[in-house]
Order: sequence, then C-alpha cells, then structure tokens
Amino acid sequence: MSLILEIKNAWIRYPQKNALEDVSLRVEEREMLGIFGYNGAGKSTLLKVIIGLKRLDSGSVMVHGLQLTPRALLEIRRKTAYLPQCLDTDIRMPISAWDVAMMGRYGKIGLFKRPSRSDREFVRTVLRQVDADSYANTPFGMLSGGERQRVMIAHALAQEPRLLLMDEPTNSLDLNFTRNLGNIIREAHRRLQLTSIIVSHDAEFLSEICTRILLMRDGRITRNLLPDEFRDDRLVDRHFREALQ
Amino acid sequence: MNISIINDPFMQHAILATLLAGVVCPLIGVLVVTMRLSFIGVSLAHAAFAGALLGLILGVNSAIMALIFSVIAAGILGPLADRGDFSPDTAMGVMFTSALGLSFLFLSLIPGPETEALGLLWGGVLTVTQTELGFLAGVTLVTLLTLLLFYKEVCAVLFQREIAESTGIPATTIFYGILLFCGLAITSSLNIIGGMLVFCLIINPAAAAYQLTYRLSTMFGLSVLIGVLSGWLGLIFSCIFNLPTGALIIVTSSAFFLVTITFSPKRKVHFQTIPKDGNYG
Repeated sequence: MSLILEIKNAWIRYPQKNALEDVSLRVEEREMLGIFGYNGAGKSTLLKVIIGLKRLDSGSVMVHGLQLTPRALLEIRRKTAYLPQCLDTDIRMPISAWDVAMMGRYGKIGLFKRPSRSDREFVRTVLRQVDADSYANTPFGMLSGGERQRVMIAHALAQEPRLLLMDEPTNSLDLNFTRNLGNIIREAHRRLQLTSIIVSHDAEFLSEICTRILLMRDGRITRNLLPDEFRDDRLVDRHFREALQ
Repeated sequence: MNISIINDPFMQHAILATLLAGVVCPLIGVLVVTMRLSFIGVSLAHAAFAGALLGLILGVNSAIMALIFSVIAAGILGPLADRGDFSPDTAMGVMFTSALGLSFLFLSLIPGPETEALGLLWGGVLTVTQTELGFLAGVTLVTLLTLLLFYKEVCAVLFQREIAESTGIPATTIFYGILLFCGLAITSSLNIIGGMLVFCLIINPAAAAYQLTYRLSTMFGLSVLIGVLSGWLGLIFSCIFNLPTGALIIVTSSAFFLVTITFSPKRKVHFQTIPKDGNYG
C-alpha cells in the first residue's frame, strides 16, 4: 500500500489555545481512518488543513504525493472530496438534491463547460448507489437530515475522489439513519477503492466502520488504536476523563 | 396620460433605462439574497452615493467616483465578511453607517444649491443621458454574459462556498466577483433609481421570486420579470400621478413582494413539512 497522506509536525497557533500542536500523521491508501475526540479537539481543523481550507503556521502536508502548496491545491482538491460538518441551508433554497449532487462534478468538468450526458449519467448512478435517486428532484432544503447526508455523499462521490474526508457525518441523525449511512459509506469505500478519513464523536459508528482510529485532544493526537482496542470503553473513557481534568 | 409621450426621446430613454435596471439589479439580487447577504446591497449603494457626492464636490464625473467608492467598499466588505471572528452582518453594518456618515458630510460640503445631489438621492429616470444609458447597457450585458459563462460555478458558491472551494472551484474569486458586479449594478442604476432606493430594486424582485420557486434558473427569470415590470409600472404610475419615478418603482416592487409572500407556496412549508426523521440536520 502506498502513502496517500503525510502530515509532519503540523501547528496552528492561536493566542488562547493552539488548534493543532505538533500533529504528525500517515495514512495509507484504502485505509478507513476514524478521528475521535471531544468538541474543540482539533478534528475538524485537521480535515480542513488536508483540503487546504486552513493554513498551517508550521509543518508540512503531503497529499496524493503532492506537497500542499497553492500551486498543487487544485490538483489535490480534484482528487479529494470533503463533507463539512455543518450544512446551514435555508429550507426554501431554490436548489434540488440533483443540483447538489451535480455540483460535486463541477470542479472536474472545469470552467466554461456544461455537464455532458456522461456527467449526468454518472450523477444518476451515484444517487442510485446512495439510495437518493427517489428524491433527486426534491428541494435540498426540504430533505431530512439523513436524506441530505446521502445527497452530500453523492456530491462527494460525483467528484470521483481518491480521498474522502467526512466531518461528523452522523451529526443529528437517529440510530437507524446512522447505521444506514455507515453501510453506504462502507460500500462506497470498498467499491470505489477509496481512502476515507472520518471525524466523529460517535464512538460506536467509528468502531463499526473504521480500520484504525486516532484519538485527539487539545490539538494533539494522543492515541492510535485498532477498532477492537477502541471498543474497550476504558481507554476511551480514560481519554475523556483526562481531557476533562 | 397622453400615450404619444412614448414617442418622446426622453421617454424612450426612460423605458430602456428601467428595462436595463430591471434586468441587472434583480440578477445581482438573486445572488445576494440566496447568499443571505441582502444588506450588502444597502452598504454598497450608500458607498456609491457617497462617492457620487464627492464627485460633485471635486467636479469629477460622479458615476466614476460612485464606481470607485462601491468597488472600494466591496473590496473592504469581502475580507471583513470572510473573517471568522467577524459576522458579515457586523461588517456590512459598519460599512453602511460609515457610507451614510460620509454621504451626509459630503452633502453638507456641496457648494451652492443641492439640486444635483438630491437628484442622485432620488434618481431621475426621465433625465437619463445617452452616456448613462450606454454605461447601464454595458454593465447589464457584461453581467448577463458573465453569469451565463460561470453559471454552474456561481450556483455552487451560492449553495455553500466552503464546499465549492473544496471541489476546486475558485469560490473566493467568484464571491469577490459577485461583490464587484453588485457595485457595478448599483453605480450604473444610481442616476435612475437614486442612491437611497437602488438597493430595493436589487432585493425586492429577488426576494419576491425566492417565494415562488425551488429552481434557481426560474428564480433568475422571475426576478428579472418582476424587476422589469416594477420599472415599467413605476414609470407609468409616475406619468399618471406626477410623482417621483424611483420611489414608485420601489413601491411597485415592494407590492410584488407582498403579493408573492402572501400567496407563496413556500409559506406552507414552515407549517406543514415535517422531515421524515424529525430533524432538519
């Protein structure tokens, strides 16, 4: 397996508290990596650094064999899909689920070009794969939380990424939708031979679908665990107790 | 009203000017309304007004000064709105009040009668010159072409800037482009609608169209239709009742908004739609 992501000694400093403190990380191709931690641990910041939405004060990031620089950013972003944590969308927003899924393809299509028939066919296929084709024409704002997440996964898959970054994909979903979403992510990861990094504070969700889990606290990676080790409640409990102290 | 008035060149200019302003302002309006940055129109309009007044004081072309001021305001608003520790509303509020303060300051410094300044305030569609008409036509054409060329990228930015950026779309450039075009639309319509009212023609038709459709392309079309109808109806009412055209255009567009919000199919959404899993995510 080759290396798809390497972060070395990453720091983001703020006056009150550092967002990242000397974070180093290596992710191999086809890994399904979970990042677990309490709010403010630096999990979301780490994902934003990988996609170039946040800049490091010091340290380096290598994605898809490319050093993360302004020049390489476009190439990296075309191979990396990112699902942010919070999707603050107006319920009356005049955009359908189909439009949102198709938007995932716009970066690949490029400027001055319209989506072709094959682009439309591709989006239709990914919507079907995530079971979202039945509400493709529904306004995005009117979908439930679970339906929106499926459409956002279709948006990400429409990009044909090699690396998939997901920030709290189970946020505000009930147990049934969470399980369902886990199956969809696992299936897409396997079929498309993706490398996935999932940030979540849902310990059960991560332990069910990830091949490796990192614990983060105060901007630092404090543990690197296998799912079985992670399921050992005492370790996770201790992590949180330490964080609270 | 004598119908033969249509044959007069000043009226033909007025009809064309309201058509062009009724196209370009609502197009920009759709962008700022869907991005929930409606107040940006207010801030830029007042900055443009302050610039135009400074132009009068210095004896420089007021349209050029209005354009410079609105572009500078857009250039300041963009980065301020982008700062995480600064709400876009706060940035726009600061810009609005600063521009208003400058406008009053420049108004007090204008030598002699303030007729021309008040003309900028309330607009004068019946006195629009050929140069102003040419500028407005140019801005409308460039705005339309740019929107057509970058339609899919603009849609992605309107939906969510951060996601658009992460897919490789130059979202920040497009966002600043939207601010720039907002400034251009305001400047080119300033003499027609007036500095105090031009942002209403940006917001009202787009806000009315927003109530009627779930398709962005339809929203663009409807808001232009409402903008042009508001312009022409305002012009007709102005001729009939001998009242200021700019104010009547705005009153008409506000009436459109009231009608659409009363009969909007989306009005029922708040009361009837219960998401299947009980939350909106």
